[in-house]
Amino acid sequence: MQDNLEKPVLNTLNKEYSRERKLSFLERIYLPEVFKALWYTLKQMFSPKFTMNYPEEKWDPPSIFRGRPVLVEDNGQERCVACGLCARACPPLAISMQANEDSDDPKERYPDFFEINMLRCIYCGFCEEVCPEEAIVMSKDYDIVFESREQAIYDKERLLVPKEDLEERLEYLRNYRNNQFGQFWDFQEENNIHSVRDRDQNWESGLSLVDILEQQKKIDETKASSTWS
Amino acid sequence: MKLKDIQSKAHPTFFKEHQKKLYQSLEDKHTTIEQVDVDDPLNTGMILNMGPQHPATHGVLRLMLELRGESIVKTKLDIGYLHRGVEKIAENKTYQEFMPYTDRMDYLSPYSNNVALCTAVEKIADVEVPERAHYIRMIGSELARISSHLLWLGTLVMDAGAVSFFIWTFREREKIYDIMDNLTGHRFTVSHARIGGVANDITPEAMGLIKEFIETFPQELKDYHKLLDRNRIFYDRNENVGVLTTEDALDIGATGPVLRASGYAFDIRKFTPYARYTEVEFEVPTRLEGDNLARYYVRMEEMHESIRIIRQCLDKLPGGPVRTDNAKQAYPSKDEVYYSMEGMIHDFMMTDTGICPPEGAEAYHAVEAPKGELGYFIQSDGTGHPWRLKINAPSFANLQVLENILDGEMIADTVVIIGGVDPVMGEADK
Repeated sequence: MQDNLEKPVLNTLNKEYSRERKLSFLERIYLPEVFKALWYTLKQMFSPKFTMNYPEEKWDPPSIFRGRPVLVEDNGQERCVACGLCARACPPLAISMQANEDSDDPKERYPDFFEINMLRCIYCGFCEEVCPEEAIVMSKDYDIVFESREQAIYDKERLLVPKEDLEERLEYLRNYRNNQFGQFWDFQEENNIHSVRDRDQNWESGLSLVDILEQQKKIDETKASSTWS
Repeated sequence: MKLKDIQSKAHPTFFKEHQKKLYQSLEDKHTTIEQVDVDDPLNTGMILNMGPQHPATHGVLRLMLELRGESIVKTKLDIGYLHRGVEKIAENKTYQEFMPYTDRMDYLSPYSNNVALCTAVEKIADVEVPERAHYIRMIGSELARISSHLLWLGTLVMDAGAVSFFIWTFREREKIYDIMDNLTGHRFTVSHARIGGVANDITPEAMGLIKEFIETFPQELKDYHKLLDRNRIFYDRNENVGVLTTEDALDIGATGPVLRASGYAFDIRKFTPYARYTEVEFEVPTRLEGDNLARYYVRMEEMHESIRIIRQCLDKLPGGPVRTDNAKQAYPSKDEVYYSMEGMIHDFMMTDTGICPPEGAEAYHAVEAPKGELGYFIQSDGTGHPWRLKINAPSFANLQVLENILDGEMIADTVVIIGGVDPVMGEADK
């Protein structure tokens, strides 16, 4: 490798560079080369098949694959709290939603409607990357067909997929996407008691979310034994 | 017949002003227009319109060729049929949001494009990237280089007449697609690099596939060499075809393998190294001849070098995080987002505002994409959106060479020369 670019320089990795542009007599008469190429072609005929008979044989994508974005259904309800972050992050503006409130539900907010225009979606996975509730993830669906533009707008019914069917993707996200890097501090999963993401997990306290909330309320109401001053 | 006034002979039906300007520029390109000998049909003058819908022009490239018999007298290039206004779109997107658009620029090597944008943003916003992310980016970029060169090889040989060869290079490309699928999540539009690192770590499946590929691919490459190097048909089609002298290459501003085949050993990876190219050893292959055969040898040897770089990267691959641990510059980990208020706020801030380079800052950063120097120039006004984002695309620079090297060649060599220059219209038209 030269240090400056003053003049053109030759740098070849081919040990037989001097022969590179000179064909020998045998090569000039062309026939040996033809047979060499035909031999290579023949060899390829017996090499293992690399293709797939697509509609009969379906390709099973790896769990890292970003297919159709779906909403995670957790205990018969979407995890989505309609914060609108996925709609903001979406580069082709494919997502639209309307938030609504329900004070009886500990989650409090839910999307009134949630639509993804699959004609616009570019499967970049940004919605999944920004979602603070792990409510929208990329599934493995890749053959997406519709007969009209109206059908291409997927609503909540078509987007909701039970989380049991998304185990592989959620597992992948846990291992390769969610890991904390850099400064380490102990997470308290109970920190985010509003998150519906972990409601089904066995917490060490063994209490349900509602019980935890009530206990917290009780603790808050208890007078401190000293003034800490 | 006189070609003095082409406009009176040609009757444009579509966008007349544009067509007229093209014919005009074809007439104006050289000072004189020669007489045509009507008695000798082999010497007939002709204006041939090639493209934009032509399978051999690698996309929607349009060529206006003035022919005398079988040889090309003059050429005029017409590009812009794939213009999508990407630079303008960038002004309305945050840097992060714009990243998937770069996949669609040079769609044969999307990984290099992702890296080019992200390194440019990292330069302007002064973001530190973890070591491991650098090495993952290098592995991805070199795989993209092999993938792009494989497509070039297949189409070049197909342009020269051998169709089945195209299928064999595509089989190897398919393996790279499988790697990309396991490494990034998509085969084609990878969107893997992020500002401040990469999207995710290498999975064990991807690692296994990469290791298998670098073991098997050199053998395939050897077979390709055996098939093509001494083949007289391939040799005759490419030798002394489309000769580009070093001076012309520099004057026109050719980059990448086209420039290196003319003897000018300019490679961004050596001269202004980015990522960790200083840590790995590799050669920059060059040739002095500047013809299509020289470009063939340069690209083939670059594939050898790419394999060598990937090997060294895998040996040196350090552990650690793959994204910078600064929530003002990159997304926090999802663990933080789920379980801490600060993480959640940063998640919202990064999405809505994005990374904000200082006001008035300007940066140009180029990477060595498979086609040549791919540079992003960013001007910031202090917000999360670029004020101006200019893309210096290697295909655009290399296409300018065509008008020079096509003149005087045979009409049958046009497709081979286009194949040798290897333009991607998605990138040239932006």
